[in-house]
Amino acid sequence: MNKNMNQTTLHPYSRSVSIIGVGCTPFMYTVDNPETNGLTEGEMFGYAALKAMEDAGVTPKDVDYYFHGEASPLNGSNYLTPNIQIGNWFGMKGKGSIHHSEACCTGYLAIEQAVNAVASGKYNCVLTGAVEFGDSVPAPFGPNDTVETPKHPYKREKMPMERFLATTMWLYDRNYARSLIAPMNLIYDDVAEDYVRTRGISSQEMDDTLNWMAINNRRNAAKNPLALERKEFAEIAKEKGFDNVMDYMRSPYNPKMGDLLRMEGMERKCDGAAACIVCATDMIPQIAKNLKHKPIEVLGIGSAACESTNPHFEIRATEEAVRQVYELTKVKPEEIDLFFANDFIITSHLYAAEIAGYLPYGEGWKYICEGRTAYDGDKPINTNGGRTSFGHAHAASGLADMYEACMQMRGECGERQVKKLPKTTMLRGYGGSQNVATIIIRTAD
Amino acid sequence: MSIKLEKVVEKFYLGLEEGKILGRKCCSCGAVEFPPVYACNECGCWDMEWVEIDGEAEMHSIVLPAALSSKPEYKALGKYAYGEIVLKEGSRFNGVVRGITKKNRAELTAKLPIKVKAAIYQRDGYKTVVFDLVEE
Repeated sequence: MNKNMNQTTLHPYSRSVSIIGVGCTPFMYTVDNPETNGLTEGEMFGYAALKAMEDAGVTPKDVDYYFHGEASPLNGSNYLTPNIQIGNWFGMKGKGSIHHSEACCTGYLAIEQAVNAVASGKYNCVLTGAVEFGDSVPAPFGPNDTVETPKHPYKREKMPMERFLATTMWLYDRNYARSLIAPMNLIYDDVAEDYVRTRGISSQEMDDTLNWMAINNRRNAAKNPLALERKEFAEIAKEKGFDNVMDYMRSPYNPKMGDLLRMEGMERKCDGAAACIVCATDMIPQIAKNLKHKPIEVLGIGSAACESTNPHFEIRATEEAVRQVYELTKVKPEEIDLFFANDFIITSHLYAAEIAGYLPYGEGWKYICEGRTAYDGDKPINTNGGRTSFGHAHAASGLADMYEACMQMRGECGERQVKKLPKTTMLRGYGGSQNVATIIIRTAD
Repeated sequence: MSIKLEKVVEKFYLGLEEGKILGRKCCSCGAVEFPPVYACNECGCWDMEWVEIDGEAEMHSIVLPAALSSKPEYKALGKYAYGEIVLKEGSRFNGVVRGITKKNRAELTAKLPIKVKAAIYQRDGYKTVVFDLVEE
């Protein structure tokens, strides 16, 4: 494959579509806490779905169809058709639905699918949600239980890291990618290596940038009650006897796990669910009579997929998806007020923001190291805490980012509210070796 | 030409067993797909013919393996790195290059792209393609 990927020209939606309601559970380790140990897929998805309906001022009767995302339903839930198994939980029994899985990009493509369904005219109002148990699996407790067919109706147990890593192999093509060895192993450091080489910064500067991204994400999460990890690294450093947070971040407490990547630059896999109500904008007065906030219009969504044998798959797919969405929407990079990047490998956060023009080419690392991308900076990124601190409930993460984006745009984020009320936001979804989606949303006038 | 239902993957691996590295060349635009697939990603044509890959290539980026990106099985490779490979025939993909160490990494990075040569490598149960540094 040549450097230039195939390209797609997007066309405008047949009608305007808006997000009118959002819901999100805390991102958590459910089995670690007696209050949450035992929660099920229906309870998690159902909570997020009903919160989104409540937020939109609609009832299940107003919603025509639902989309369901779960990245790894067989491993995490022992389900093949997870959308059906929760179908009685939120008042929509008998209505149509579909399950989809694009691994860590699921929650972003959940928006794509819902918007397309409404823009086409087929449905006026749909629910799009996702749930993931990233930290636990159905537990075999009885003498006749097996991993494949546990007989207990709801108990779960921690998912060992070895089992998680083994199942991540399912993300990669069995015919060539796994055989060639390099494709799945480049995911951790390819983007950081590319940044160092093409921007001409040193490995030390990249190390500092990676650490600052983790610090900034945690600063944001510290002020987010839904986030998984809320203790700031400065405080952790002090507890461990370090005067300076960067000394801690460079220490064996934060070991190198990749060629450049350190431990705190990786996702915190966990459990969670999130959902959105997506509605035809012109139907809002009829369907959502009780809507108490401005709708958030979806201006456009770029999509690209670049399988992992292709060099710099994340970069190339992001470039194409960003190109598409800017071309379609005519939005300029300088109009983006808030940026989200699915940063389960934290380097995404820097590189995607530069590709989108949200941070200037070759200068983004400086913005990050100066703290300008934290919630209280002038170029906020991942104000919920990102995948390293908010947590990564794989399929649900994209919708959790959409929840945060909408709440920021409504000015409802309290302590972590960004300085300037965002009018236009871009979300860069990524995952599944590798799907990419770039979503631009704007507060409706 | 009409598309045929054929075993491209099996032929590729059987080729390795015979000491041949195979790709598929587009009969319309001449682009070579490696690893081999049905249709040309350059022009979209699915009239493709099998070709033997020469093995000359360039490496355009260098990432060293680390805790997350290595397995006990990979020790048999010796010292190696991952990176973007560009075949003489034009195909680009992610591959393994043997002979890159922490010591020579900086020197090699400064010289990128560097010449490499394909080799057939025995894994547990099947053969695959890796690359070796070409000394200049």
